[in-house]
Amino acid sequence: METSQQRLALQDAMVFLGAIASGTEQAIGESANSISYLAGVNLGKKMSAGVPQTSDILEALDSTRKVLEKNDYLWLFEAFKTHDQETVVQEDDEGTHVMLVFRDCMIRQSLFRFGHTQKGSLCNMMYGFFAGALQNIMGQESSLEIVHAGENACYKKLTIRRAS
Amino acid sequence: MSLEIAIHEQSCRGCELCIDICPTKVFELDEEKRLCAVKHADDCIACLSCAYICPSNAITHTDYHAVKNFYRDAEFCQRMGKFL
Repeated sequence: METSQQRLALQDAMVFLGAIASGTEQAIGESANSISYLAGVNLGKKMSAGVPQTSDILEALDSTRKVLEKNDYLWLFEAFKTHDQETVVQEDDEGTHVMLVFRDCMIRQSLFRFGHTQKGSLCNMMYGFFAGALQNIMGQESSLEIVHAGENACYKKLTIRRAS
Repeated sequence: MSLEIAIHEQSCRGCELCIDICPTKVFELDEEKRLCAVKHADDCIACLSCAYICPSNAITHTDYHAVKNFYRDAEFCQRMGKFL
């Protein structure tokens, strides 16, 4: 396919993606988030199959990043710590957590391009992807909370829940 | 790439919207001047929410990673080919 055709096809795919997400949210409300989350979990598990297991959260994130890169997914992220945090990896009652910054994101671009709001079902798909991938790689439950959905980057809190 | 963030003092009205929206608490209110000031520039993630929300357009970022316009980026379109 020529690049100009690919551009048009990609734009069409983005319109479709945004419209499906927005329509699903309107039609079935909150359940749209669960459906997208589960789709993300399946994708995360499928794509991370065969990745060596580790209990180190930073190693697991590195493996997840490699999985995304290998599959040409532009959902790249980096661990981030603010001046008042001593280390990137933090422990609290809930479990181990790392703050992540997401910059290039096809979901954000799709939502903005067509006037949809952030933190909806498509963002939950990414949450699901991480949950699925980290379940494979670390064997533990996780959550990816959207702390801030910005215009040029998003700030999220990844928590690996303590096994009870 | 070393990100820089600046507030144009003469434009700032001290409304504190940037302080409220920043997820990493980059700004603080300068009580003396009653203006917002950059306190922890290293903590800025370049989400640009402060620049978008500032009513007087007083905040500028330089040397930051601007997100790609995927549908206009030829290289990205080629990489996405397999999904289309």
